[in-house]
This record gives sequence, structure tokens and C-alpha cells, in this order.
Amino acid sequence: MAESTENTESTESTESTESTESTESTESTESTTSPIARSSIAPVPPVEIVEGWEVSRRTSDAALTLSDESPLGKVVVHAPERGVFATTVGGGDGVAFGRAQRRADGVLVIGSSPGEWLYLGPPGCAASVLGAALASAASGAAGGAGGASTAGGASSEHVSAVDITHGRALIRLTGSAAPRLMAKICAIDLDDRITPNGTALRTSVAKLVTDVVRDDTADGTRSYLLHCDRSSGQVLFDAVLDAGIEYHIDIAGFATI
Amino acid sequence: MIQVSCPWCGPRNSSEFRYVGESKGRPDPNAATPEEWRRYLYVKSNPADWATETWYHRAGCRRFFAVERHTVSNEIRETRRPAAQLRLEGGAP
Amino acid sequence: MSATRVAGAQATSAPMRLAAQPGEVIDRSRRLAFTWNGRPAEGFAGDTIASALAASGVRVFSRSFKYHKPRGLLSATYHDPNCTLQVGDDPNVRAAHRRLSAGIAVTSENTWPSLSFDVRSANRLVSRFLGAGFYYKTFIKPQRLWPAYEKVLARFAPGGIVEPDSPHGHFDKRYVHVEVCVAGGGPAGMTAALAAAAAGARVLLVEEEPELGGHLRYGTDADRAAAAELRAAVAAAEGIEVMTDAVVTGRYDDNWVAVVQRDVPGVFERLCKVRARTLVVAPGLIERPYVFEGNDLPGVMLSSAVARLVNLYAVKPGQRAVVLSANPEGDAAVDDLRRAGVEIARVLDARTGANVVRAEGGRVLRRVELGDGSKLDCDLLVTAVGWTAPTSLLNFAGDRPVYDPDAARFFPGGQHAANVFPAGGLCGDGSLDEIVAHGRAVGAAAAAAGAAGTRPPIPTLARRPHPALFRSTTHGTVDWSEDVSSKDLLAAAKEGYDSIELVKRFTTVTMGPSQGKLESVNAVAVMSEALHQTIAETGTTVWRPPYVPITLGALAGRGFENTRVSPMHGWHVARGARPLVAGDWIRPDHYGDPAAEVNNVRTNVGLIDVTPLGKLDLRGPDVAKLLGLVYVNKWAKLAVGAVRYGVMCGEDGVVLDDGVTGRLGDDHYLMSTTSSGAATVWEWVENWLQTEHPEWQVHVTPVTTAYASMNIAGPKSRELLGRLIVGVDLSAEAFPYMHVRQGRVAGVNGCFLWRIGFTGELSYELHVPAAYGLHVWEACFTAGADLGVAPFGVEAQRIMRLEKGHFIVGQDTDGLTQAFGADLDWLVKLDKDDFAGKPELVWQQAAGGYQRLVGLQPVDPHIVPAEASQLVEGAKTIVGRITSSRMSPTLGRAICLGFVAPHLTVPGTLVTCQLPDRRRIPVRVTEHLAHFDPDGERLRG
Repeated sequence: MAESTENTESTESTESTESTESTESTESTESTTSPIARSSIAPVPPVEIVEGWEVSRRTSDAALTLSDESPLGKVVVHAPERGVFATTVGGGDGVAFGRAQRRADGVLVIGSSPGEWLYLGPPGCAASVLGAALASAASGAAGGAGGASTAGGASSEHVSAVDITHGRALIRLTGSAAPRLMAKICAIDLDDRITPNGTALRTSVAKLVTDVVRDDTADGTRSYLLHCDRSSGQVLFDAVLDAGIEYHIDIAGFATI
Repeated sequence: MIQVSCPWCGPRNSSEFRYVGESKGRPDPNAATPEEWRRYLYVKSNPADWATETWYHRAGCRRFFAVERHTVSNEIRETRRPAAQLRLEGGAP
Repeated sequence: MSATRVAGAQATSAPMRLAAQPGEVIDRSRRLAFTWNGRPAEGFAGDTIASALAASGVRVFSRSFKYHKPRGLLSATYHDPNCTLQVGDDPNVRAAHRRLSAGIAVTSENTWPSLSFDVRSANRLVSRFLGAGFYYKTFIKPQRLWPAYEKVLARFAPGGIVEPDSPHGHFDKRYVHVEVCVAGGGPAGMTAALAAAAAGARVLLVEEEPELGGHLRYGTDADRAAAAELRAAVAAAEGIEVMTDAVVTGRYDDNWVAVVQRDVPGVFERLCKVRARTLVVAPGLIERPYVFEGNDLPGVMLSSAVARLVNLYAVKPGQRAVVLSANPEGDAAVDDLRRAGVEIARVLDARTGANVVRAEGGRVLRRVELGDGSKLDCDLLVTAVGWTAPTSLLNFAGDRPVYDPDAARFFPGGQHAANVFPAGGLCGDGSLDEIVAHGRAVGAAAAAAGAAGTRPPIPTLARRPHPALFRSTTHGTVDWSEDVSSKDLLAAAKEGYDSIELVKRFTTVTMGPSQGKLESVNAVAVMSEALHQTIAETGTTVWRPPYVPITLGALAGRGFENTRVSPMHGWHVARGARPLVAGDWIRPDHYGDPAAEVNNVRTNVGLIDVTPLGKLDLRGPDVAKLLGLVYVNKWAKLAVGAVRYGVMCGEDGVVLDDGVTGRLGDDHYLMSTTSSGAATVWEWVENWLQTEHPEWQVHVTPVTTAYASMNIAGPKSRELLGRLIVGVDLSAEAFPYMHVRQGRVAGVNGCFLWRIGFTGELSYELHVPAAYGLHVWEACFTAGADLGVAPFGVEAQRIMRLEKGHFIVGQDTDGLTQAFGADLDWLVKLDKDDFAGKPELVWQQAAGGYQRLVGLQPVDPHIVPAEASQLVEGAKTIVGRITSSRMSPTLGRAICLGFVAPHLTVPGTLVTCQLPDRRRIPVRVTEHLAHFDPDGERLRG
């Protein structure tokens, strides 16, 4: 089962006048079926359960493929735009707004907005990514003992992290024709000179507000991650498929990061 | 379609933004007369000239910012952070 | 060229087809069969529909729009006003441009019952009633005659037939980003593109014809060789994308350039939205017709049409020709005609004063009357009297063209935007070398624009002197598309229309499908003559996009419609839920019987999917300050684990949204909004944080779709939930009304539970990590089968909330409802230092006199007044309205909410309600907004 939604309060609030989570257990009988997590995008057969998620295992050798990567763990971190966290995010010199950087552990850190970072990692990673992000924020911010959220004190800064694994849909478009396809549904110039590999931007794709992250494959093939509101995932997926007919697009199964 | 240069994201089609309106200071809610308050709510100066406006990057970084736009030519000569943010940054030690 | 090329070419089906021509673009090995008005016809691949028809001897292509006069080829270009035809169910096809394809059914438009016998040509006999300004005058008065006029006019309506059931063809859109966009693929355009690409720019080269080359394609052998050389260079160049059979239809702010592409495989038309740093305008020149009596007879055509027909399509334009020539292009057409075996009856040199006065004939040209009064028999009259610069794209960019009397044409005025560059024939005349040099310089300058450094110089093109020839001594057609004659323009001038802009609107001259490309300058010249002023004084009308008509399909492109659904959507569909479209969301309205759904919630337990409820995750030490600012009530003392109802107002005091917000941790809150208000509230909150209080530390994350939300409502809801939850004591003491808990439900961690109740029953709003939404939803039904659990939809919820007197923002309030009018006295805290809309609410309370929301019940319990029914006093005074109205299954009577004037708010007051059928019924003001369980005992149990 995916550990994708832990109580985030333990890291953020240490002193509560009243806890929202009661420790005493009632005499309830738990459901016998283990929960299945489902993407907002209908999986194409064959379907398997991977890390608690129902995912497509379809393979495709098409030159242009689209896959649903919604099961990936997703965490959004907010911190001051020019603060301590901003300069150390990702464990390095900071990931600038508009850029994406892959960490050694495979987690993709994206400067998704000014003062906002999006972490994408393997399914179930959200809790640890979230904890680590807040821990690094806490160590970076003096006076933030035990919590990243510290009010007052000139050297402290307010950092928060939210697991949005369930709140967003994530799809990946891979193939050399990807920029031509994207040109039908997105007004951004995707020329290499303007938006090279590692570019992250938020814009309108098929009239949906979408994070577009250029994350080429290891062999240098063009690849874009498209990230939008969960409830619009199927619409975005279908719009990309429709725009890709001309380029013989095919659906591929979940690939993970 | 005009292009608006977001102070954070750079030039984007204006369809990504919401035009909020002419930038106006909010009167003191406890001291304002009805006339002052309603001027703030409803009266637009609508010049055929340079105007300072507030725009919101709805489909992008979701930031509000100030735009200096010529209402006749649509030329935009400057975009910058909202006044309150600039004041805060300028006033910080 | 020798005459031998002509001999022996005529197949029986194509009497006017010539032997192979050196520059022909037809493929004689590929014959294409099609039908023309139901009869079999044939052409070659590469033919346009018009050239194939002309080769078969067709001379009359259409009937004119107003008088239904027969019309033949005039310019043989896209802009030819006389050969828009119907192809299958595709109306208004430009037959001189559209390539022929096999099997198409081509019919003429504007003809009934047939092209050769058109009953509507009787209009010509009554033309004085259909003269200039007919439409304009007709539609002013008297208004009562409009329906009658409409009936008559509809039968004369222009254009083709739009089949109501024809499928929406496949249209496409595409964004293009280039440094330089070049409009026009003639010699100047091609060299401009080459020069720009050589400078490192990405270039888009757009050409209207199916092949680059411009006028060189139908010129001399040397011209064709030059075109081939340039085409090869373009094909070999890095960074040039060529779009042929495409047209730049508009230039908008910041060089937003619209290009319609017509030859994309599998796509009917594609609209390209081009953002170009610079735009090079190189459309070449368009030949101008001559105005004289009979100038619209089939057989009267332009010299450029002759050049195209003979050289590109190997079509003989006629048998015996008279040519009126004022320039070298006209002289060249004489050579073309001779080569094509056309007998030349006379060449009239307009430069030496020769003239044409009248063309005569019935359906087609038979005779020409010359300036000296003599007459010549002929079936072809070719005119070459001058050129028009299509400056439209420059005009879209702010330019006004300037007339040069010596060259007898308009030139760019130099006022266009700095990121637009005219090139080639638009700017002046010259040899091919000079035009190419001009194009090259413009291309280099366009590529360098915006970059540092000096701008490369652009040579000036000389202007060739040309006689000013617009109208002969007789009157004739000025606008072929709109059937406007020079006489009509004079009539307009006589009526006092002394501005070309007014004349355009009055006579509709230049307003037809060819958009003034052939007509504008003649119209200006005729008006100048009538007003005794120079052409420069008359000026031109303002050109506006589009440059050529665009299909609505291309504008629509591929449709994007956001449809949002919850994780349980499939479940609802499988159970036959009736869909309710609420903004972008599709929600279950009901599952067959809303009243039964209400009864089940009141007696057992029900589940409703409320996923669209807006949810904002708020974190930071200053969240309470933010809440205090955006809500009308107080938030400073909300304990962790508690939730509170709040109402937001705009700065005008008008109710904006409502919802509950809970405190999950010291610095962590979850705010809920209405479903439709989610986006607005998020933006509203961000606006306050970013522009008023950037010093506050609050992080906002929208989590609306991160949770699948469901309300478990009814007396048995506690029991049901108890079977699924771990980690939360559900007893009333441990988890009281208006509190929030977190726990594990049906094996899913991280679920939130709010104990709140819109329905008025004991209920829990459960927020589940969205991917597990369906799992938990199904688990509830499995676990609660013996409790009678059933789903309920939005309609049942609306009934129950009305029974409880809860208002809905936007239903029971409108854009003028300030908080006190919505009966929120108990909530609004005017003693707070500040909150959005506070001053207006202070004044509202002080002033009083506002309508107020009250509960209403019709005295006759069986009458359910329609929503928006008026409440009235006496015959004419409106004193309120019904905002919500339903039959209550719980109470067995009609119940309402509504606004009433201040003097009617006392409980028990009888008010008169006027129903839509004008019946009047008494309704009684109730004591509470709630019609059922006003004290909330069920809710708090």
C-alpha cells in the first residue's frame, strides 16, 4: 500500500492545544479489501497494481508515446522566494524558478513558481520527500527548532510542504515529434534555444493550466512532463492524444521516474 | 493578441492573464467617506494615455503585478511587482 | 513561342485546352473526372476548378449577387469575385484557387433554377429599387415591414448553401514562433526569407498559391528559371518553413500573425497563430479592373488572368480578342494570346489615348465599342490599366497608404509599426534584379531588428510612371462581389455621402468577399471624380482583418472543453445518475427519485459526492489574520480541531462566497468554498496576500481535487462511519458538531472528517485522498447495506438545505446582495478593525431599508411557485421575489426562500406572489429561514 499521505502535522506543528488525530481507537472493523489508488486517467489494459496503484502495463515501441505518471509522489514546498531554502533547495545550490533538476536519488526538483518547488519521485515517496524538505528547511533556518514554520526572528523563514500526490494528474509525452504536437495545444516556443532540457514553466495547455517540464530521456529524446489538476487529467490526456494522431502517437504504460 | 511580460515568467500571451483593473490604493476602511470608498470601488480614470494597471498571471505563476500600459497603442513600458511588495522589500533591514 | 504548340490540343471535352506550355502546372497524365452542375466534366491534376471548367469551354461561372447577371473569369486568382462555387456541401469555394480533385460535384451558386435561365435576373429590370443603399434604407423603417422584407430578401440571399447536417470537418490550430514571418512567396518574399535565414533567424514563408514564385511563375522563360533557382535556394536553406496554399489573414498587436493553411493532409484548414518578431509584407501587386459599361460580361478579363490561364493551365481564354493595354504587362498578354492561337482583333494602346467605351453581349461578350465609336466583334476583351498595392497588412499595423498620381497607385505611408517591413512591388517597381535586391535588404533588416547594432540599409525602389486610368466615359461595375456600379457611387455622392467611409457603408462597395482588393481604388477614383477632388484628398477606407475570408471552422479549430469529474464519476454513471453540469464539473443531479433520496437521508443514511467543493490548504503563522480579513466574522480564537462557518464579501459588501474553515494544527487550516467559487476565492485570497499584506506569512495550496469529498448524512451516519474508521472516537462528546478529525477510513490514511451538516441531519463530510475516493465510497455502501445506505444527488441536497433554510450564494443572493440583506446579522462583526467590504456593511446597517432574505410558505401547500416569481403589492409594485422553491418531501408542502421589502419581514406577514401565469397566490413569511428542525436538534445529536 502506498504511504502517500502521512499526517504532515508531526513535522509542522509541535504544540497543539488539541490534536485533530485522536489516539484512542474505536472498535471499528477495518475493511478487508486493501485500498486501491486510482489515477484520474483510465488505464489502458493490461492493468496491474503497482505500489498500491492501478496502472497500465502496456508497452509501445512507437516513436511518440504518452503515458500516465500520476502515481508518482508529488510534494509542493513553499518558501520565501529569496530565502535560505531557495538557495539550498534540492540539497545543492538551489533550483531556480523555471528550472528542473534531478537529484541523485532520482527525485526531480522543479522550480514551479517563484517561491514554490515541486518534487516528483517514485510512488510512495511523498512522505519521505516531504519530511526531508522540511528538515532541510529547519536546519537552514536558525531558530526553527523542531519545526520549519517559525514566526518572528529576523533569520527565520516560513517553509511549508504539502503532499499533492492525489491532487494532480501527471503525464509524460516522449518522442522527437513532441514539440510539434505541443505546438497545437500550447503557445510556448519549445525551440531548443528558448526552452532547453531542464526548463520548467506553467502555462495553458489545451486551455488547462499545466506545468510543463522538459525532461528528456537518458538517450536525449525529447520528453515533457505535463502536470495539471487531477480532475482535468483525462481531458489533458485525451487532448494530447488527439493532437498526436498526425504523428502516430501511442499510449504507453506507467514508466515511473 | 498583445504580449504581457510577467516580471517572473517573461513575455506570455495576454490570454494567460486576467486584467484586474487600474491600480488603486485601498482607502482606510475605518476613515473613508462613502464617496472615497465608492470612488475606489467604481470610478475608473480610463485615460487615453499611460495607465498603471494590475494584472494577474492566472495560467502561470499566479502572481499579481503592476503593468504600465499605454491604452492607445497597447505598448507596455514596464511590469513590476505590486507596490506593497516593493515597499516591503525596500523597507526590510 | 511557335504556334505549333497550339495545334491538335483540343480533346472533345476540352475545346479550349492548349498544347503543352513550358510553364504549365498541370499533369496531363492524370485526368480527373468531376461534375459541373450535374454533368460530367474533366480536367487534369494541377488544374484549378476554374481552369478545368474554362478548358472545357465554360464561360459563365456564376450569377452576380444582387442582379444575377452572368459572370465569368475576371482575375483567375483566389480573389476572383466571379467564381465562388459550391463544391459538395462546401459553399463559397474559390474556384480559381481550389485545386481540382477527382469525383467532386461542383455547382454554381446564386442560380435558381439554373445557370442559363435565372429567374432572379429579373431583378435587373427593377434595379432602381435595389440600388445603392437599398438594404440600408430598407432596414431603417418602417419596422413593422421587416418580416416582409426578410421573406423577400432571404430568397435573394447571397452565397452558397450551408447544409445544416454536414459534419464539422477536421480543423486544426497550431502556434508558430519565428523571428521573421514573410507574407508572400514571390521574388521579394523569397529573397527576404533567404536573407533573414542567412542571418540566423527562424523564418516562416507564407504563399497563397500552391507553389512559390509569384508572378514569375507565369512570366517569361527567364522569369521561370529565376523562380526555380530561388525555390531551390529556399528549399536548401536552414530555418525556413514554407507554407504554400496559405494566407496571412491578419496582423495584430505585437506581431500576432494569423495564417490560414489550406493544404494540410487530413485537415480541412489549419489556423496558425504566429508570433513573429518581425513581419515582412511582400504580397506583390494586384491588377485593377477598368470601369466601363458591360465590364462585367463574361469574356472581359484582366491581362494577368490571360497570363495565368495560358501559361499555368494551358487554357485558351477566347477566340478573338481586343486588348486595352497601358503597361508592359498588357503588352506581354498580347504575346501570350498570340502564342495561344487567339486572333487579335485590335490592340488599343491606352498610353496613346485609345479607349474602350462599352462591351456588348447577352450572356457573354460579343462586341466592343471603342473610344472612336467604332465597334469590333470579339469574345475576349483584355484590360491592363494599372495595379493596386494590397497594403492591407501594413494598414492592420497602423499605416495609411499614400496616393502617388504619377504612378497612379497607392504606396505605403511609412506609419506602420516598427516591427513590420514592406518589400517588393508594394514599395515600387524595378527589374527582377532590383526587386530581388530589395527583398534581400529587407530580409536582412527584418532579421536584425531588435538586435543590437546598426540596421542594414534598404534601397529605394523607383516608381514607374503609369497613366491614371480608372473609368471610361461610361458607367460600369466597380464592385463585382457586391454588384455596385459607378452610377451607384455617384448616386451616393448626390445623396450627400461625401466621405469614402460613409459611401462604403451606404453602398457596401468593397465589403464583399474580395474585400476591396480589386475594387477599392476604382471606388476611390469614382468618388473623387464625383466630389471634384483628388484621389489623395479622398483617401482610402480603413482596412481591417481578415485579409481574406476565413471559415468559421478554422477559427473554431479543435475544441477544448474542460470537463471535470470526481473519482466516483464512473460509479454514478453506472447507477444511472442524471448528470448536472455545474461550471466545468459534471455531478450527479439525482439517481431517479430525489424525494426518495431525501426521505432516505432523513430516516437512514445517504451519501453524496461533493468533490467539487473548493478546498484551500492554508499554512503559516498569519492564517488567522487572513481569515479575519476575508470573512465577515472572527477567527482569532478558533481552536485546533474546530471548524467554523464563514461568509466572504467583496469590497462592495456583496456576498461573495461561503463555507467552513477548520483548524487542523497551530498554523494549518483547511478552507472550504462553494464549488463554483473555488477559483474565485483562491484568487481573492492571493490578491490580499500579494498586493495588500505581503508581510503576512501564509502559504496557499489549492487541494480541491486532492480529496474526494463525500457527505455521509442521516441518523445512521455515525453507525456507518464507525464501521470503517480507525483512530477517531465518533461519540458526540469526543467529536462534537463543528469539529474536524483526521483518521484512517476503510484502510486509507490521511482522511479528514468534518462534522457539519448542510442537510440538517447528523452528518460527516469525509475528505479522502482522491486516488482512494472510489475505494472508500464503495466501502461505505458495502459496510452500510443493512443500514439502508443509498446515494443522493445535488437535487436532494438542495431540497434538504432549503428545508433547513441554508441559502446558496448565487441562488438566494445576487450581485447586489450585501451581507445584512442575506440575514447575516448574527455573523457580521463590525467591531473588527478591518475586513473586506466592512465600510459598505457599516453603511448598510446604518441606512437600513434593504430587502431581506426570509423563509416563505405558500398558504396553499400544494402550489410550488416558480423560482424568480415576483412578490407584489397592489397592481404594479414589486416588493420582493422567490429565490428558491421546492416541494418538501419531509413536510409535504411547498417551501421557499425569498427577498421581501423591509416592512414585510415580520413573521406571519402575508405577501402576494405573482406566478409566471399571472395567477396571484398568498405566501406567508415564516419565523425562521429553516422550515424544518429550526433548532438543529437532529444536526447536533
